[in-house]
Amino acid sequence: MINWIGLWTLTNREVGRFFSVYRQTIIPGLISSVLYILIFGFTLEQRISEIQGVSYTMFILPGLIMMNTLTNASSNTSSSMLQMKLLQQLPDLLTAPLSGLEIALAYIIGGTVRGIVNGILVLLVGVILIDLPISNLPGTLIFIFLVSWAFSSMGLVMGQLAESWDQLAMIQNFFLTPLSFLGGVFYSIKMLPEWAQSLSFINPIYYMINGIRYTILERSDSPVSISFWMAVLLTLLFTSLAIIMMQSGKRIKQ
Amino acid sequence: MSRLAIQIKDLKKSYNNIPALKGVNINISVGEFFGLLGPNGAGKTTTINILTGLVFKDHGNCLVFDKDIVKDYRYTRSKIGIAAQELSVDWFFTIEKLLYFQAGYYGISTEKAKRKVNELLDRLGLDKKRDSRLRQLSGGMKRRFQIAKALVHDPEILILDEPTAGVDVELRHDLWKYLKELHHEGKTILLTTHYIEEAELLCENVAIIDEGIILKKGSPKKLTKELGNSGLTVQIGQNVNDVDISPFLNDLNYTIEDSRLHFSVKDPEKAIPEIIQRLAKINIPLQSIKTETSSLEDVFLDLTGKSINE
Ligand SMILES: Nc1ncnc2c1ncn2[C@@H]1O[C@H](COP(=O)(O)OP(=O)(O)OP(=O)(O)O)[C@@H](O)[C@H]1O
Ligand SMILES: [Mg+2]
Repeated sequence: MINWIGLWTLTNREVGRFFSVYRQTIIPGLISSVLYILIFGFTLEQRISEIQGVSYTMFILPGLIMMNTLTNASSNTSSSMLQMKLLQQLPDLLTAPLSGLEIALAYIIGGTVRGIVNGILVLLVGVILIDLPISNLPGTLIFIFLVSWAFSSMGLVMGQLAESWDQLAMIQNFFLTPLSFLGGVFYSIKMLPEWAQSLSFINPIYYMINGIRYTILERSDSPVSISFWMAVLLTLLFTSLAIIMMQSGKRIKQ
Repeated sequence: MSRLAIQIKDLKKSYNNIPALKGVNINISVGEFFGLLGPNGAGKTTTINILTGLVFKDHGNCLVFDKDIVKDYRYTRSKIGIAAQELSVDWFFTIEKLLYFQAGYYGISTEKAKRKVNELLDRLGLDKKRDSRLRQLSGGMKRRFQIAKALVHDPEILILDEPTAGVDVELRHDLWKYLKELHHEGKTILLTTHYIEEAELLCENVAIIDEGIILKKGSPKKLTKELGNSGLTVQIGQNVNDVDISPFLNDLNYTIEDSRLHFSVKDPEKAIPEIIQRLAKINIPLQSIKTETSSLEDVFLDLTGKSINE
């Protein structure tokens, strides 16, 4: 038995929450992506004319989409969960006839929607500003969806663990951003020394970036099937973790 | 015996190995107005939070309409509306929207909740504020919103954790009136409070809790009779000497102070004729009689050795 109306209501709330503050949740990612395109793309393009046969600006765009998608997806769930804890809103959910599964799913869907919206907006920026060709649109959308879902779930895990905004900022600054940069948003790992290349292979975000790059530009440092299964694996892993944690309630109840 | 709405059996809970509840037992009948009285840190909120699923219990069990709060949580939670002690904050949505969300969590669609939401906003004087955010409301309005939120799914049991804390006198009386109405409509109400007056006025039965233990249960009237220091003070026309009168009164519990006699009795009003008779027998002229009825406050002091607001 599932409390469908409850699930729908909470999902609605999660989605409504970030749309109501779109200036903080949608615009910034858009602006920074445009800035990356202008600054890195157009200025560096004079020096690095092409990577793997495409212009430098085009080369970095799939990575920007991924970065924006996963940052937004994870920060929606993590900050919403922490905020609910700190503002005494969580009791409303925990005393309602909602199961841990329903609460977790609603949060995850909320974060996924934000990830997808942000990812697609950067994709559109690419199409509009630099005529980005998209070789396999369904494939691109599947990657955006999987990565949104996976990182939304990861954010929910973080949000349950975190006790302060500091801790969330630390995860963003010390893990997500560096791993995105090192995952090859701005370069092909083939340009790195051997040891750094092998390090990239243990960075999950490397696979996400190369996966979506393949679906858009047909360029990738690793086979697209590996990227795809990696995305599926991450999604399953973080989803189960988030749901199990929510069901146990250990981090959000006394 | 009437059917029970809430049964709490031997409930124990420790936080970081420090016991907060040491075996609490409470039964609340359907339709009863029940008060849980105790000083800060007594374990009132902990008890309530276990009942509503916010806190894990270590031992014992709780039933709501005979269903277990852990196993049948969907059923038991849908029967309870809770107005928490801590006020929540939200800056994204209007209070009207928040009420619809709340209804939704309980499986009630916006369509179906409409009448109740409007009724509650109206009845709790929040109608003009329906488009405001929570942070734009005064403290008293936030309290009222809290109660509206607890009632939006029309629960059979209403739990209020210090609903009148930090509320001015006028609003407090309004809320009391409203709670009485809800009680008359048949709701079972569990209330925690620091205000003795509130408990005496509203509750049919109270339990006094301190340091995680229920010290006493019963109706406020019964408790004050049993435990308080009620009595009679009789002003007589002359100074008397204990030696002279003690042979005639030695079966009573009394003290003398110059021309005043104080009798400790459970039910002062009922004792008046008897005392008058006894004093008349020994020719002691009476000037006035004053009764002192003790309050729950005294009972509380008696049981715990401290004041409830300490
Ligand atoms: N989350 C917690 N972590 C650790 N100890 C707690 C926690 N919540 C409550 N306690 C402790 O448990 C005891 C009971 O607290 P509780 O909040 O139930 O009291 P209360 O009767 O509601 O008090 P008040 O009238 O102040 O609201 C107190 O000693 C309190 O310090
Ligand atoms: Mg309390």
